Amino acid sequence: MTDVAVSVRNLRKSFGALEVLKGVSLEAREGDVISILGASGSGKSTMLRCINMLEIPDDGEVTIGGETIGLERTRRGMRPADGRQVDRIRSEVAMVFQSFNLWSHMTILENVVEAPIHVQKRPRQEALDEGMALLEKVGIADKAKHYPSHLSGGQQQRAAIARALAMRPRVMLFDEPTSALDPELVGEVLRVMRSLAEEGRTMLVVTHEMGFARDVSNRVMYLHQGVVECEGEPQAMFANPESERFRQFISSHR
Amino acid sequence: MDLAFMGRTFLTLIEGVPLLLELAGLSLSIGAVFALLLATMRLSGVGVLDWTAQSYIFVFRGTPLLVQIFLIYYGLGQFRPALQEVGLWWFFREPFYCAVFALTLNTAAYAAEIFRGGLLSVPHGQIEAAKACGMSRLQRFRRITLPIAVRQALPAYGNEIILMVKATSLASVITLMEVTGLAHRLIAQSFRAVEVFVVAGAIYLFINFAVTRAILVIEWRLSPHLRQAPEGEAPMKPAPAHARGA
Repeated sequence: MTDVAVSVRNLRKSFGALEVLKGVSLEAREGDVISILGASGSGKSTMLRCINMLEIPDDGEVTIGGETIGLERTRRGMRPADGRQVDRIRSEVAMVFQSFNLWSHMTILENVVEAPIHVQKRPRQEALDEGMALLEKVGIADKAKHYPSHLSGGQQQRAAIARALAMRPRVMLFDEPTSALDPELVGEVLRVMRSLAEEGRTMLVVTHEMGFARDVSNRVMYLHQGVVECEGEPQAMFANPESERFRQFISSHR
Repeated sequence: MDLAFMGRTFLTLIEGVPLLLELAGLSLSIGAVFALLLATMRLSGVGVLDWTAQSYIFVFRGTPLLVQIFLIYYGLGQFRPALQEVGLWWFFREPFYCAVFALTLNTAAYAAEIFRGGLLSVPHGQIEAAKACGMSRLQRFRRITLPIAVRQALPAYGNEIILMVKATSLASVITLMEVTGLAHRLIAQSFRAVEVFVVAGAIYLFINFAVTRAILVIEWRLSPHLRQAPEGEAPMKPAPAHARGA
């Protein structure tokens, strides 16, 4: 069981009367790259956000690296039993957002080293050196002293990926990382993500990029109205989809 | 106009400046802490706290500062025995403390709403990013929310500082001899209202000139992200419409 990085069991989540997740399960082993596909409103982002407790599930279980996040039921719904456990697990699960969410008052390098220094309490100089190396890796080392507003969307997203990597995360969550980008900027972000996948990082990627899902990930999961409609190896799934809905979905996303 | 007289007037009135600065400085700094508390109460989502802060702000913004000063100094003076009993009389019998007290309560009400606006303006996504990397609630507030909110609130808070410098003149009605108090006394002696008030006005103007400059400098230093990129490089996107040029 040690090589299971993330396990999600029977996740349920409602917003008011709307049930977004109706019992979703997922298991990611170390080194897995799982693409999560689905139409908007299918619950794929909500599922991702439940993994690091940005949304608190109404029911079900999330286990990261063998440690299950404790939830307790209160009159106003579920809440984490131990806030510090959630903070600690979040520092092992990095997230890349659709809208980048870089901190606007800090330079790119400051964004990258913020959590290593202030959350993980690593030595400042070590964090700065590693931060620069990561910016080098995503190809924006020359922007280290710039502010997020000075960068293009693609550069901001690569900076956000460097910020996520700086946490030395066990798992990386990508929430539609290219959906807010101009078409000509999508490629540079996908290239970085592909190289991370090739390094053997564990990644859960909510995306509309069919090319990435088919060529880079080793598993694909298709959500429809809060349930897993089908999942499996990308080659087999794309070559002859067993689900009619998935077939229609991929043909409308070409 | 009698320039020699104005020169003497200036030397008299300038003696009130230290008191003016003490009143403004003390009430602004204590008031800011109180205001931050009120703003967080407003945003706490806890009904009782929100409602309490709201009522407080309503009362202190809705009544004239002059009335508040009178009520605190003369009004509370009528409850002298009771105040002596609880050991607060030493405070409320001093006009200086009363003035600082009234100014503090007043500025806290205004600044609370300014701070609340600043806190609300912090983009939700940036707070979420802070959560996602494991920052505790306190770390998020200290490292992300507050710095962004301060940058948003600074121009409006600059206004409040200027208003407070001028509001200290009301302390003269409870016998404090700051600039306006000294001006009143000088007019009673010399019957030359125009010269004396022109000099008094000029002193306020000069102080506020210094205040505005200081705020501009702070604003400039806190907002490199709203200016062009370093090394003379053009920003990729035009600065957002709300960007305030320094």
